[in-house]
Amino acid sequence: MIFETKHLTKKFGGLTATSDVSLQIGEGELVSIIGPNGAGKTTLFNLLTGHIKPDEGKVYFQGKEITGLPPHTISRMGIGRSFQRLNIFPRLTTFENVQVAVFSAQRKSHQLFTSAKKMVREETETILESVGLLDKRDMKGGLLAHGDQKRLELGIALSVHPSLLLLDEPTQGMSPQETIETTALIQKLVKERGLTLIFVEHDMSVVFGISDNIRVLHQGKVIFSGKPEEVKRNEEVQRIYLGEENK
Amino acid sequence: MILVSLVLLIVPFVFSRSMVSLINEMLIMALAGCALNLMLGYGGMVSFGPAGLYAVGAYATAILLTKYGAPFFVAVLAAPVVAAIVGAIVGWFCVRRSAVYFALLTLAFAQIIWTIIFEWYDFTNGDNGIVSIPIPEVLYVGSNIYYFSLAIVAVCIFVLWRIVNSPFGATLQAIRENPMRTEFIAVPVRRYQLAAFVISSFFLGIAGSLFCVFAGSVFPDYAHWVKSTDMLVVCLLGGIYNFAGPIVGSAVYILISKVISKNTTYWMFFLGIIIVFLVLYMRNGMVGFAAEKISRLRNRLDAGKGEDES
Repeated sequence: MIFETKHLTKKFGGLTATSDVSLQIGEGELVSIIGPNGAGKTTLFNLLTGHIKPDEGKVYFQGKEITGLPPHTISRMGIGRSFQRLNIFPRLTTFENVQVAVFSAQRKSHQLFTSAKKMVREETETILESVGLLDKRDMKGGLLAHGDQKRLELGIALSVHPSLLLLDEPTQGMSPQETIETTALIQKLVKERGLTLIFVEHDMSVVFGISDNIRVLHQGKVIFSGKPEEVKRNEEVQRIYLGEENK
Repeated sequence: MILVSLVLLIVPFVFSRSMVSLINEMLIMALAGCALNLMLGYGGMVSFGPAGLYAVGAYATAILLTKYGAPFFVAVLAAPVVAAIVGAIVGWFCVRRSAVYFALLTLAFAQIIWTIIFEWYDFTNGDNGIVSIPIPEVLYVGSNIYYFSLAIVAVCIFVLWRIVNSPFGATLQAIRENPMRTEFIAVPVRRYQLAAFVISSFFLGIAGSLFCVFAGSVFPDYAHWVKSTDMLVVCLLGGIYNFAGPIVGSAVYILISKVISKNTTYWMFFLGIIIVFLVLYMRNGMVGFAAEKISRLRNRLDAGKGEDES
C-alpha cells in the first residue's frame, strides 16, 4: 500500500466537498477518479497534496501520515502533481521551467552565487526529451501550444522524482490526436519509472485506456470502485455519470 | 559594460562638481533600485516600503558615528547588517500574505520605521535629523567620495547580478511566475521569499549608509513613503524584468527630476505625465523596450541575410 486515506472529509460552509473518502492505492497501480462536475475531484486532490487541510480524516503515504503537512514537504517525500488549470512558469523558457525543478530535486535551489546557466543541463535535457520538448527548449513556456504546456507541466512534475504522480485532467483541452499521444506518453513514462498514478479525467477513452482501477466520485463520496469493465457495466454509474451516449 | 565603467571612472575629470555629485546620487539610487528589484522584478513581491530599510541603513551609520563614536568602517559595515536584521523581522510578517496585502504590510512597516525615527528624539533627533556627521576628511579630498560610492556600488551590483543568475535567482523567478507550482516542486516558497526580503534589505541598508556618507546628514524623510515611490518609479522606469533596468531608471529619473525642477516648480506634474506615458507605451520599461526593439531589428536583419543567401 503506497497511498491511503481514511475517512477524509472537507466542508466549505454548508457544502460537503469531500465526504468520508477512504482510498487505498497499491504500489504501481494506475487509478482514475471520475465523476461529474462538482463531484469534489479537485478538492480531493488538494487534500491529498496538502493545499487544503481536511476537517476530518487522515492521509498516509508509504505508511507515514502526511495529513496537514505543507505541500513542499509532501512534494519532497515523493508525490508529484499537475494541476487542472495550466501551471507552468510562463515567462521562463521551457528549459528553465524544468531546470528550476531539477535544482530543487538536487537540493541546489538555495545556491546564491553559482551561475545557474549551465548547471544540471544533462538532467534537464533528459526530461525535456522524455516529454518531447527538447526542440522547443529556448521558447518561453507561455508561448508554447496548449498541449505542449500540458506536457511541460508533466515534465516539471517528473523532475522531482516522484514515486506517486497525481494528474488533474492531463489531456484537458487537447485535440483528439494530442490526447492519443499524451495518453501514450503518460503510459510510457509511468511504466519506465515504475510510478503509481492517480488521475482525474473526463475523457473516457483516456480513463478506460490507462486505468487498472476506477473510483467514481459523486457529491464528495466514493460511490463505486472497481475495474474499468465493472464500471462500464454498473448501472448507477451509468445513470449519474456516463450518460446516454456511452451506453 | 567596459565602456560604462570607463566613463564612470573618468567622470570627475570631465564634469563639474555638481554634476559629479548628481552622478553620485544616481549610483546610490541605482543600488537601491537593484536591491528593491530583487524582490519586485525577480521575486514578484511588490514592496511599498524599501525606504524604511534604506533609512535603517542610513541611521545605523549616522547614529554609530555621532552617538557612539564608532570607527568609520564599523559604522558603514554595520548598516547592512542592521538593515538585514530589521528586514528579517519585517519580512517574517510580510511574506505571510501575498499581492496587495503584502504591499500594504510593507508600507505599514515602513511607516512604523518612519514614525520611530520621527518621534524618538533622544535617539534619532526626530525631525531635526542628524547633521554634521563626522565623515573622515580623506573622503572630501578631490573626488574621493565619488570613488568610494562607485567602488561599493559596483561591488554590490556585481554581487546582486550573481544572485539573480544563480539557482536561487532562478527559483525566485519561478516563485514570481507561479508560487503554487513552485511549492509543489518541493520548494518552501515563504522561506525563499523571506530570504529575498533579507538580501534586498541588506543592500538597501548599504545604499542608505552610502547616502548618509555622501550627504553627511540624515533625515526622517529617507524612510518616507515618497522615497519608496521614488525607488519603485526608478525600477519601473528602467524595467523590472531586466537587471539593468533600475540602473538606467535611476540615471534617467534623477536627471529628469533635476532638469525639470530647475526650470519649473511643477516638476511633479511633468514626472506624472512621463510615468503615464511609460506605463501605457513602454510596459517593460526603457531597457525592456530597447531590448525588444533590438531583438526585432536583429530578427529582421537575419531574415534579410537569409534572403540574400538564397
